[in-house]
Amino acid sequence: MGLVENGTLSKPAAKPLTWLLNYSRKYSLWMFQWGLACCAIEMAAALAGPRYDMMRLGVIPFPASPRQADLVVISGTVTDKMAPAIKRLYEQIPDPKYVISMGSCSNCGGPYWDSYSVTKGVDQIIPVDVYVPGCPPRPEALLQGIVMLQERIQNEGLGNDELAARWRGEVPGDVAMVSTPVALPSPKARASKVGAPDA
Amino acid sequence: MSSTDNPPMPEIQLEPGALRHLAEAQVNVELDTGDMILNLGPQHPATHGTLRLVVRLDGERVVSADPVIGYMHRGYEKLAEYRTYPQITTLVNRIDWLSSFANEVPFVDAAERLMCVEAPPRAQYIRTVLTELSRISTFYLFLGEMALQVGALTPAFYGFRDREYVLNLIEGATGGRFHPNFNRIGGLKDDLPWGWISETREVMKKMLDGCDEFEDLVAGNEIFQARTRSIGIVPGELGAAYGMSGSNLRASGVDWDLRRDGRPYLVYPELDFKVWTHPDGDSYARYWVRLQETRESCRMVLQLLDQMPSGPITAKVPRIIKVPAGEVWTEVENPLGQMGYYVVSKGATGPFRVKIRSASFSNVSIMPWLLRGVYVPDVITILASLYFILGDIDR
Amino acid sequence: MPDEPTEETAGEEEIAEPELLTDEQAALLAVFEAELGGGVIEHADAFGTLVVRIRPDSWRRSAEIAKTKLHCDYLSFVSGIDWQPMVAPRSNDDGGNDTSAPVQPTEMTFGTAGSAGRFQVFAHVQSTSRHHGVTLKTDVDADMPTAESWTSVYPGADWHERECAEMFGIGFSGHPNLRKLYLPAEFEGHPLRKDFALLAREVKPWPGLVDVEAMPGDDSPAEDGSG
Repeated sequence: MGLVENGTLSKPAAKPLTWLLNYSRKYSLWMFQWGLACCAIEMAAALAGPRYDMMRLGVIPFPASPRQADLVVISGTVTDKMAPAIKRLYEQIPDPKYVISMGSCSNCGGPYWDSYSVTKGVDQIIPVDVYVPGCPPRPEALLQGIVMLQERIQNEGLGNDELAARWRGEVPGDVAMVSTPVALPSPKARASKVGAPDA
Repeated sequence: MSSTDNPPMPEIQLEPGALRHLAEAQVNVELDTGDMILNLGPQHPATHGTLRLVVRLDGERVVSADPVIGYMHRGYEKLAEYRTYPQITTLVNRIDWLSSFANEVPFVDAAERLMCVEAPPRAQYIRTVLTELSRISTFYLFLGEMALQVGALTPAFYGFRDREYVLNLIEGATGGRFHPNFNRIGGLKDDLPWGWISETREVMKKMLDGCDEFEDLVAGNEIFQARTRSIGIVPGELGAAYGMSGSNLRASGVDWDLRRDGRPYLVYPELDFKVWTHPDGDSYARYWVRLQETRESCRMVLQLLDQMPSGPITAKVPRIIKVPAGEVWTEVENPLGQMGYYVVSKGATGPFRVKIRSASFSNVSIMPWLLRGVYVPDVITILASLYFILGDIDR
Repeated sequence: MPDEPTEETAGEEEIAEPELLTDEQAALLAVFEAELGGGVIEHADAFGTLVVRIRPDSWRRSAEIAKTKLHCDYLSFVSGIDWQPMVAPRSNDDGGNDTSAPVQPTEMTFGTAGSAGRFQVFAHVQSTSRHHGVTLKTDVDADMPTAESWTSVYPGADWHERECAEMFGIGFSGHPNLRKLYLPAEFEGHPLRKDFALLAREVKPWPGLVDVEAMPGDDSPAEDGSG
């Protein structure tokens, strides 16, 4: 698909084609299940519970490995010990890839904002597309997050160059994109970056 | 490796038993190859969470298994030193996230004992009802999930479907599906809403029917039994020495339930219930015991609803809670086993030290012993049957 | 009879009365005293649980006695405690103090059954058949913190002691493999020691009790500045 990477598809003339591509992409999101903590149970309720049934939104939750996934939901507390594994798994997902951060813990640290072992937000290690607040968010809230992501996917490349950038693996600068991927520093190094008092 | 490529087998007359020797000889040759190390997790669907298992394999057999934990370590014991007592209730909710309400009870109990406050009877009854409801919702997930781990997908959907009814009840009473944070020191946040009791009765009937369904569909299933019977046998004595508790220990024939045998708490002394045990100690026994306990919990809830007294739901406590100096150890029977808090107070608004004794931590610490010599597929069965919550292991 | 710990008597009047052991607790204590002799330093009742303080050189022996003589076949937990007062979170340059954390007493006091110094290891064992339990404590030297390991008596003590070693820096002699249990390998420090400060609180203290935003329309400097 060189046409996508070099931006040909984002040209106004190719608009119907882009629309069609996005339309089909947004209803076949292969979601890698990344159960971490409490939120994972709510995510499972949204996936497996007949009441919520996420699959009706075109989310397919059964890729065997991250290499077959488009979307990952970080559901739960990210600890400093887990962070390298999360980063590696994220890097294994082929472009274009999307991340939903589910719950207060992965948004910002949540109730563990002052803990010595918890990463204060998954956006410190990987870029996030949609934040779902709550502790834990209800399954409906996660569904809303999915719908928001689908809207985002639908608008890619229509009057912007986000589609091409996504395909090339670059994270486009966008408001909802609060941080860019960085190499994970050790807890000590990160503390010095934040600026410890009396340092 | 299709069969057509193989040359026809020559006709050789062998004395009986020689073939077995040959087969064994071949196995012995294979044994010379180096051990394989299988790294399960920290992200693996079968570990329901972030447990990592480093398994050394000899062919299909596990030589040694080394669980690596700490991927969900959130430092509760340290954070508790920086929080006030009412704030800690919010925190301890999230230790065993499936039965959040049951986690609050022992902590609030510890603070109440230190302050010499007792919650009024109605609050005690509601606490007991909600504890049992969280037990039912936890076990329902297990009843479905265990089947999923041994290869049956459908029961998992049944578990999730029926669990929603219980979560609805918990949400109706507390306002939270997952982390109710409903306990206050000296009582509860609120009384039950209108119609809750009659709705709970209806749901309990549904749950009892669901248990029958699980019994027919899973526990009575021949394939399920073949996968779980005599897999992962824990002797009762060893389990106790490892600190295994709850249904896991009762499935090994140890007749010990803190609801009946421990220091009396909530209204369990007034209830009529049976403590189920199973002599086998294998994965099937653990499933069976939890199935019976789910039923027993439903019956207990029905009993409690019949006996529910009226009255206030909070005792008189000061607005700013200061707990007198002292030490107290409280232990309760949580869905996953013994949950205890050793609270050391120095008379401040927050505790000086809280030792959290969570059930799964000890339940899982037996794994290096238990997994030695089993086959790889049975590792998953055993993991599922021990039924742990990562937050409860790592805290 | 050993002395009552000081801050117990300073507490509520219910706790102030002299300790009275129930018959069951007295029987448990008698076994320890008969078997260990001088190994029992002190004992107390903590809300219905017998707490016995053991001399450090009798620590492993006490576990054996609990298991064989007292039928305490079940190990509940082994953990540690640091009695040193907590370092107060530092105030930052804006004059804001971390007022959200509870204020603890600044002098070092010891809990039930006392302590010889800063560190203690304590454990709880129970009987599944007779339904009793006992909390055992032992002192740990602050300069060279080590205690005897219980792993030879209770195999379940393995992980508990690893956790304690990691969290408090207390070694356990006789433990087969005292690796880190929870934290990543590069982690420095022992988090549950009282002098281990939480970095997040130091960097950005919680505003405290007055963290209420001004209502829109209120005359506050922030409103004036933006408007």
